[in-house]
Amino acid sequence: MRWWVAVAPNEILSPDDIAGLVDTIIRAGEALVEEVEVYITGGESVSAELTKKKIGIATGSKSLGLGIRTIDHGRIGSSGTSDPSSWRKCLDAAVSSGTLATPQEWGGLPSPSLQERPLLSFDPEVRVEAEIAEKAIYKMLKGAEEFPVNVTSGSADISTGYLTLANSHGVRYSTKKSMVSVSLEAISDQSTGYEFDQSVTMSVDPENVGKKAAFFAHHGRSGEDLPTGDYSLVLSPMAFAQLLGNVFVPAVNGRSVHAGRSRLAKSLGEEVADTSISIYDDPFRNYGPGSTWWDAEGVPTRRIDIVKEGVLTEFLYDLKTGYRFGKKSSGSALRSGYGGLPGIGYHNLVFDGPRSEIRDEPAIYVHDVVGAHTANPMSGDFSVEISNPSWIENGDFGKPVRKAMYAGNVFDLLKDIEGIACGERVIGSMVLPEVRLPGQRIIGI
Amino acid sequence: MNMNGDIRYYDVRHVKGQTTHIDIDNSVIESAGTSFFSTAVIRVLGSSGWGILTIDNYSSPTGGEFASLLSSAASLAHITTEPVMLADAPHGVLAVPVMKEDPGDVSLEEKTGILGEIESSARLAGIVNTRATYIERAEQVYFVDSSANEYSYEICRSGFNIMAVASRDGNVQMGYERLHSIHGLNIRHQQEMGRLAGVRALSLIDAQAVTGGKMDAILDPELAGVFAHEAVGHASEGDLVHEGNSVLSGKIGERIGSSLVTIVDDPSLHEFGFDPVDAEGVRVGRTTIIDHGIVGAYLHNRETLASVGNGVAGHARASPGEAPLVRMSNTFIEEGDSSLEEMFEGIKTGIILYGSRGGQVDPGRGVFQFNAEYGFLIEQGERKGMVRDVSLSGEILSTLHSIEMCGKERKMSQGYCGKGGQSVPVSDGAPYIMLRNAVVGGSGTE
Repeated sequence: MRWWVAVAPNEILSPDDIAGLVDTIIRAGEALVEEVEVYITGGESVSAELTKKKIGIATGSKSLGLGIRTIDHGRIGSSGTSDPSSWRKCLDAAVSSGTLATPQEWGGLPSPSLQERPLLSFDPEVRVEAEIAEKAIYKMLKGAEEFPVNVTSGSADISTGYLTLANSHGVRYSTKKSMVSVSLEAISDQSTGYEFDQSVTMSVDPENVGKKAAFFAHHGRSGEDLPTGDYSLVLSPMAFAQLLGNVFVPAVNGRSVHAGRSRLAKSLGEEVADTSISIYDDPFRNYGPGSTWWDAEGVPTRRIDIVKEGVLTEFLYDLKTGYRFGKKSSGSALRSGYGGLPGIGYHNLVFDGPRSEIRDEPAIYVHDVVGAHTANPMSGDFSVEISNPSWIENGDFGKPVRKAMYAGNVFDLLKDIEGIACGERVIGSMVLPEVRLPGQRIIGI
Repeated sequence: MNMNGDIRYYDVRHVKGQTTHIDIDNSVIESAGTSFFSTAVIRVLGSSGWGILTIDNYSSPTGGEFASLLSSAASLAHITTEPVMLADAPHGVLAVPVMKEDPGDVSLEEKTGILGEIESSARLAGIVNTRATYIERAEQVYFVDSSANEYSYEICRSGFNIMAVASRDGNVQMGYERLHSIHGLNIRHQQEMGRLAGVRALSLIDAQAVTGGKMDAILDPELAGVFAHEAVGHASEGDLVHEGNSVLSGKIGERIGSSLVTIVDDPSLHEFGFDPVDAEGVRVGRTTIIDHGIVGAYLHNRETLASVGNGVAGHARASPGEAPLVRMSNTFIEEGDSSLEEMFEGIKTGIILYGSRGGQVDPGRGVFQFNAEYGFLIEQGERKGMVRDVSLSGEILSTLHSIEMCGKERKMSQGYCGKGGQSVPVSDGAPYIMLRNAVVGGSGTE
């Protein structure tokens, strides 16, 4: 069953509609300013949400957005709208916003340089149908039955989208994206468990998600308190992603670096992590959630070695920051939506190094953390509550810990890493393994 | 509108508007512009649960086109199995307070100039970066449901953030101030806020990391407000209670805190979390969540009121284009009768904490965490050295017992609260409060 049974009044734009609209806007814009960029995004999604063990909500969405950027004598303007038919108002707003912006060094938007390439972040097998989300939900519930817990909530989401980027130098790039994600929360007494899975393809494993969420809820019952002190920790990819995302990622953003907002600003060429560790952006990863041949400004993407064997080697730049500070764009422009200007980010951030067994010696396992967004992005200091803290011994889960706070510093932690586990997980657009850290401060009782 | 047999109820919430954003970074106007949006949510209650459509660029169709949207939503609802009931609730819309100065009447150029003055005020000697941002969102909201309740209103929220960064020998620290309002343009004559952010960043360079452990703590009104929001507010949300994902589930009438503690959520207050009517057309009003230490009521929408009880509907809120969820609005701890001096006098070894970088809660487990911007150690009732990067954590069912004093004056602070991928404007507030044996986290060691 297609959920969208009727022809909707805002039917998704066809490729021909988009091509025509793009040309019209660019022609009109060129009469007003030196350069014009048009960004059109849209898509559809369907989701099913659990209330305890029953589906309470099924949602279908249609999204649409137009973004316009104008550049004139180094003055950059932008606007966006969800109504492409009102593009003229949007273009005028972009031009008028440009007149207020401080002029800057500007070497031009890119010209077309890429031929059509295979889609990296799209699977044609992903179908936006409510029944598929429904099936995933029931598979999760089945997985959760492995442990005697109560399911509290969960969801399955399927989406596909398209994106067109065009500019007045002739760039006309288009791509498609797909994403499937499932998540489940369970509880047993006062022990909660959360797990999720996501993929560009239909390869998510809902049953395993249900089983793992239920395991953590079940395992965490009757945890024991822990005395305050220093402990070895094993951070799950989920916990590690939160700490890296809130502190490390902003610190390698070229804009933060040159604005004086990064502790790593003067550390190029220096050791910033254990010498076994490499951190890089891989935009070409097959079925990577952020994979793309070109960035949000049409600059061809490339692999960026941010940290190579412990040494900080490169920061991330977009055109604007690059031109201003005499650097080349690293193809790292990203848009979070259709409004506003593109910013700097990563496509698929990969954390890598020699792999080993890191669960053999006892350690406290950190499944997730509560409050990572309160970390200090400048200094890197954080103190967060651990979700599902538990001892691990001989490679397996041992006694659960009732409650523990973890305080540390993200920059110091990168130097402390003593082991990286085999395997990895995709968390958002990060690809991360489990890591082991010695001597981390835990505040217990 | 004739509804087919599958549709027990429907509503439409259409939000149109525009967002203006200004970003000034180290005296460079990075961007100053306006974007436009129009987005709608159509909810249909089928024979079991909800079928919902969210549509960008909604064109308000009528007749057959609208009917076909309803059937699309109804067909989605076929996969639902949860038997959703809606409680009756009073309808009605409150007047939106008249703005002192409508930001829409002030040119973008003038606003950019005023923001620039705040930004430059933060640029003190030793400051390496200053950044000011201004955000203004004007919304026109239209609501209609299948019972012929129909409301529309316009509201504009605007405000600014100013950040200053100080750096010395690889030590980078930030000072941060913000002010947001529903009462109109609030950026005039605010240079002092910029200077404060600069002074804070500079003084944090010399502040020490705190050594974690249990200690007595005084929280300023802003941080105490976040404490109320994280420690109690989320766990009182009816959807979490219904799911069995809140430790406050089944606790109505039970004492969970000292009789000094009363915690309220009130979307009708003219603070940043004000809603003239909730997102399902229900009249808004005050809910006393904790009444002198006893769990009094939960926050509800019509669905959770029907399934859980104990409270009133009117707490459904939504970002434009998103389905409503049970949310807090203006959440606060009521005033007590202690002075700040009395709180200091009662502390041998402790800490006083100011400002907030946010917090998070696991309501089912009953554990929360939140973070202060800065603080000072207290020894023998005296304020001592400055500390930075201090978090507090606690357990919902015991933490309110540890509140020993509440101050006399309440102050509200503005922010945004995230839940289910949506972000809504809220305000939190409290008087100064004093907690015994709080769990304080910091990276310092003895």
